[in-house]
Amino acid sequence: MTENPTAPQLEVRSLRKSYDDGRIEALRGVDLSIEAADYIAISGASGSGKSTLLQLLGGLDVPTSGQVLFKGQPLDQIGLDDYRARQLGFIFQAFHLIPTLRAIENVQVPMLATGVDAATRSQRAEALLVEMGLQHRLNQFPNELSAGERQRVAIARALANNPSILLADEPTGNLDSVNSAHVMDLLRGIQKDRGMTLVIVTHENDIAHAAPRHIRIRDGRIES
Amino acid sequence: MASQLTFTGFAWKNLWRRRLRTLLTLCGISMAIGAFVALVGFSRSFEGEWMRLYSSSGTDIAVVEKNFLNSSLDESLIVKLRAVPVVEQAAPMIFNLMDLTPEVNAIAFGWLDDTYEFNSLTFESGGRFHNNKPEVILGALLAKNLDKKVGDALTIQGSTFTVVGIFHGGTALEAGAVILPLDQMQLLTSMQGKVSGFHVRLRPAPAGEAADHYLKRAQAEIEAALPGLNAQLASDRASNNQFVDLAHAVAWGTSAIALAMGILGIANTMAMSVFERTREIGILRAIGWKAGRVMLLIEVEAAVLGVAGGVLGIGVGWGALQLLSYVPKTNVLVHTSLTPSHLLQAMVISLLSGLVAGAYPAWRGSHLSPVEALRHD
Repeated sequence: MTENPTAPQLEVRSLRKSYDDGRIEALRGVDLSIEAADYIAISGASGSGKSTLLQLLGGLDVPTSGQVLFKGQPLDQIGLDDYRARQLGFIFQAFHLIPTLRAIENVQVPMLATGVDAATRSQRAEALLVEMGLQHRLNQFPNELSAGERQRVAIARALANNPSILLADEPTGNLDSVNSAHVMDLLRGIQKDRGMTLVIVTHENDIAHAAPRHIRIRDGRIES
Repeated sequence: MASQLTFTGFAWKNLWRRRLRTLLTLCGISMAIGAFVALVGFSRSFEGEWMRLYSSSGTDIAVVEKNFLNSSLDESLIVKLRAVPVVEQAAPMIFNLMDLTPEVNAIAFGWLDDTYEFNSLTFESGGRFHNNKPEVILGALLAKNLDKKVGDALTIQGSTFTVVGIFHGGTALEAGAVILPLDQMQLLTSMQGKVSGFHVRLRPAPAGEAADHYLKRAQAEIEAALPGLNAQLASDRASNNQFVDLAHAVAWGTSAIALAMGILGIANTMAMSVFERTREIGILRAIGWKAGRVMLLIEVEAAVLGVAGGVLGIGVGWGALQLLSYVPKTNVLVHTSLTPSHLLQAMVISLLSGLVAGAYPAWRGSHLSPVEALRHD
């Protein structure tokens, strides 16, 4: 299989995902096309299926039926681990930093999976944290950082392998309004400066409306 | 200075987060490896000393019954044995293990006063005993344990003997031994007219005959002259006698039980660790770590526990041997020499223990669904 240069960066075809032997349908036939460098917000009520869609886009889970394609290639035909390691950066609501590692070490963790040499890992992690404004917090452990700082470390980690797509699941959900605005400014800047694709799942209307493209999901279907 | 994260450093940090649990697990595996080092080291040392016991005296062949522990031969067979052409010298002997005092055990030999086996002994004081007299000679270590010197009286099983010599032997077994005239030993052990076996020194091999061939021929000739008895090569006798077999069996059996406990300890620690880190494993999977890499991380953690336990265990085992070598009850049998191959074996066993113990937790951790793992509380 080879990449199709004319294909969308991410494409979703008739995507369905059900749980509990089909009794719960999280997604009921979603079609979606995402071009490179798109900035998309996905919103919806709790349980609408927006996080499930993000997980399927990120190859964290497999659909019950339908397909997710990356540059024309179905995800199930390309290595999911390589796809996640090299093409994606994940940002989670709960940050999900590893508590025993310092900030700079947390940023290096993804690079352990991609064969980046030790010196480069360290230099790149430091540069990313400096870019996030955390040059004075490199050697702090997560529990020594504020919530906003933790999320910025998580963003640096998501950028470690220089991915083409950033997937953010409620990235401001655990932040106050000041930190929330700071994190969103960072994400928008990164998306613009690096030409990355940014897909944000959020339930906050102002964040959703600020995105150039806004998709609403309701009961497992795209509403608009 | 920014930290540089390495794969093994990550594994170590994971272990070190639960320090008490890691240390307790290390204690468990180090005790197991310590038991292996001490027990197997002891049994091998014991075997080595047996070998030296024969080689230092120049014994080539031991003639015994099939059952070593209860070997009881007619002493008069010595005449037939000495008549075998290949035999240069033959010495009847009795071997026994005796409680000389409630605290001191000793290997006891009964020898004739003109046996060639005296050649391997060096007297630091006194000299040989005489047949038919209540005299004994003591290994230097035993004399020290008993606080005896030449001229002192020593009571063995109700009979009083005079210490007439204190010697350094060619082996540690002899250093802790008491040697009596054969007739006195026969009285003590109710073996009048009987011996445990005969030690044989062969004539030099004829020119042109290979040593191995000559030894086999000598065995055959002796067994032909003394039907029903075994003529064993000294080297076989050292490694196959029932004392050594028993020591090996006890050492390996006890070590195996201890190792099983140690492995279960590591397995429990790793299983707990994987369970507690379920969400973190989900994160690793989400950011692109392959299942194999997660498995490797957990196996490295288990291997680090195993290897660290091995290093500590070697120290524990060496310490145990040191301790036993100072206790009069055991110091005649226990020596503190640990060979590099034995230490290497201990390290390999400890590493394998870690890997075996970590295998299931590693498999379990690596097969977690990233989504399920991320939802884990």
